Amino acid sequence: MRIVVAEDLFLLRDGLVRLVEAYGHTVVAAVDSGPAALTALVDLRPDAAIVDVRLPPTFSDEGLQAALTARRAVPGLPVLILSQHVEQLYARELLADGHGGIGYQLKDRVLDADQFMDAVHRIAEGGTALDPTVVAKLLGRPNRADPLATLTERERSVLALMAEGLSNTAIANQLFLSEGSISKYTTTIFSKLGLANDDDTNRRVRAVLAYLGADEQEEQ
Amino acid sequence: MRRHQGVDPLRWGAEIGLGLYRSAVLTALTCVMALVAVPVGVGGSALAYSWSDGLSAPFAVSMLATLGETLMVILWVTVSLWVVHPLTSRALATAARRCAASWLGLDYEVTYRQVPPVTRMATGFWWDGHEYHKSEREARRKAKMQARFHDPQLHWDGLWALVATVTVLPVAALPLLAVGYGCYMALTPELTGYGIAVIVAGLAGAPFAWRVLLPIGRRFLGPVPSTRLGRRVEELEAIRADLTHTQAVELERIERGLHDGAQARLVAMGMSMGAAERLVDTNPDAAKAILAEARATSATALAELRSLVRGINPPVLAERGLVDALRALALDSSVSIDVYSQVPSRPERPLESAVYFSVAELLANVAKHSRAERVKVELTYAARTLTATVSDDGIGGAAASTGSGLSGIERRMAAFGGRLEIDSPAGGPTHITVAVPCELS
Repeated sequence: MRIVVAEDLFLLRDGLVRLVEAYGHTVVAAVDSGPAALTALVDLRPDAAIVDVRLPPTFSDEGLQAALTARRAVPGLPVLILSQHVEQLYARELLADGHGGIGYQLKDRVLDADQFMDAVHRIAEGGTALDPTVVAKLLGRPNRADPLATLTERERSVLALMAEGLSNTAIANQLFLSEGSISKYTTTIFSKLGLANDDDTNRRVRAVLAYLGADEQEEQ
Repeated sequence: MRRHQGVDPLRWGAEIGLGLYRSAVLTALTCVMALVAVPVGVGGSALAYSWSDGLSAPFAVSMLATLGETLMVILWVTVSLWVVHPLTSRALATAARRCAASWLGLDYEVTYRQVPPVTRMATGFWWDGHEYHKSEREARRKAKMQARFHDPQLHWDGLWALVATVTVLPVAALPLLAVGYGCYMALTPELTGYGIAVIVAGLAGAPFAWRVLLPIGRRFLGPVPSTRLGRRVEELEAIRADLTHTQAVELERIERGLHDGAQARLVAMGMSMGAAERLVDTNPDAAKAILAEARATSATALAELRSLVRGINPPVLAERGLVDALRALALDSSVSIDVYSQVPSRPERPLESAVYFSVAELLANVAKHSRAERVKVELTYAARTLTATVSDDGIGGAAASTGSGLSGIERRMAAFGGRLEIDSPAGGPTHITVAVPCELS
């Protein structure tokens, strides 16, 4: 895969580049500022990008803005956002375009190289990779939007893992269930949320959007 | 004047009676200086101008003589007032202040100079706070005199007495004079008609005349302008002391957080890695286990640092500003919170942070105490004031005294010249407003 890395701390950028290359991918650009990240994303159109939220010159949410702008220019451009903290607010903004190919993870996750690279692969394939912390915060919210109220406890936990971006196989492993029953659960979830029968990945993303309550903000 | 529908004679009667009474009180309170100055002036001029009665001199000389006599009269009047002033001003001003408070709601807090304690110095002399004296009795007497007669507030009260004599007195006395003189005229056979007219005019003016106290009292009855400044300095000193204290406590909290958390974990990690280094050749499996543990420790340390940072400066606040930070906070809350904003730009960082933490505390209070289901946060900017209002449909009954949280917010806001308004009747709903002056473009 061709990968862009945008991170301002030299040690972390270097570490990310080495990590990505150790897994046999090519780093086509390693940049350290928001504008440079935007240029690299739009011009190089990488297979996946790893972008820090906070970047120079303003050290506000430059990285996030660069990712959002790039994805408006190139819909579905896979971006994995890294941050020292995860916020539901940012997760909603990232998912709002409904295209998938979005990851949002704590920087701590880099420590587990296998899982981290797995997340990069998932977003490159158009899936999602949300940090469990965001998902946990969502789970903690009472009286969520109505269509979700119809889901059973088990269906909710399947949806939560789906939101993290796990495949049916991975979900089955986590919940100690067979893959067949997971796919039955996902079908029920899709029908309960009224998601039409199209491309599976797209439907998974939209289920997550429904979960986040973000789908009401856009026209579908 | 209270407005009411139709003519209510009883009401009018009461107003007129009240007006006459208040006019009489004000006249009594402001006439002292006039009572002294007028006889002294009249008698003095009668005496002084008699000196040049038989004078036959050129015009210029007689003019000079008249000028000298006039100056003499002015001097006598001034001296007489200067004697009356320290004896009466304080009592009269205090009485007028009490009237202004109960009639008009003009509440002024005034402090007079206290008698300072006298102390015996090593030299054997007595110090009254101003100068040395040979005996304690003398020192006490001087200290008392000093406090009594050299009090700036006393002189300010004197100015009130003087100004009131020429402003409040003539106006307040007018209805009384009209009624009195009207009665006299009415009893004189050929002037009865005029007399009644004058009485009616006096009575009609009675409910209004005493209100002259409002503009004059507002200007002259308060504390001395210079002590007003002094009081503000005291307030600011209190705020500063409060701030330094809060800052110290905050630093201590951060230090403890780092010391007990991340720092300790880094030490533990260092030790584990040292152990792993020694074991890596002889017992690779044990070394691996230790390294895995060290990695878990580093994750915990990171999590602790993250929560510490969130308490110091929430990341969204730094990255996006007040409005989005509050939105993020609302999303994480267990209660359903709507955030509305009409703020044109980001305020200064310290102010932004103070408003954020105040609203965060209010929201935490809502979640803890109010049993509310819906909460609304509104941010507005108008008339150079940034206002954040937190409204909930809970049980109400919030007050600054019961929770130290609300008074903490009040103190935090006071540092920026802001204020906290609480509207929380028992049974709800509650509206709490944080308003702080600032300049936004």
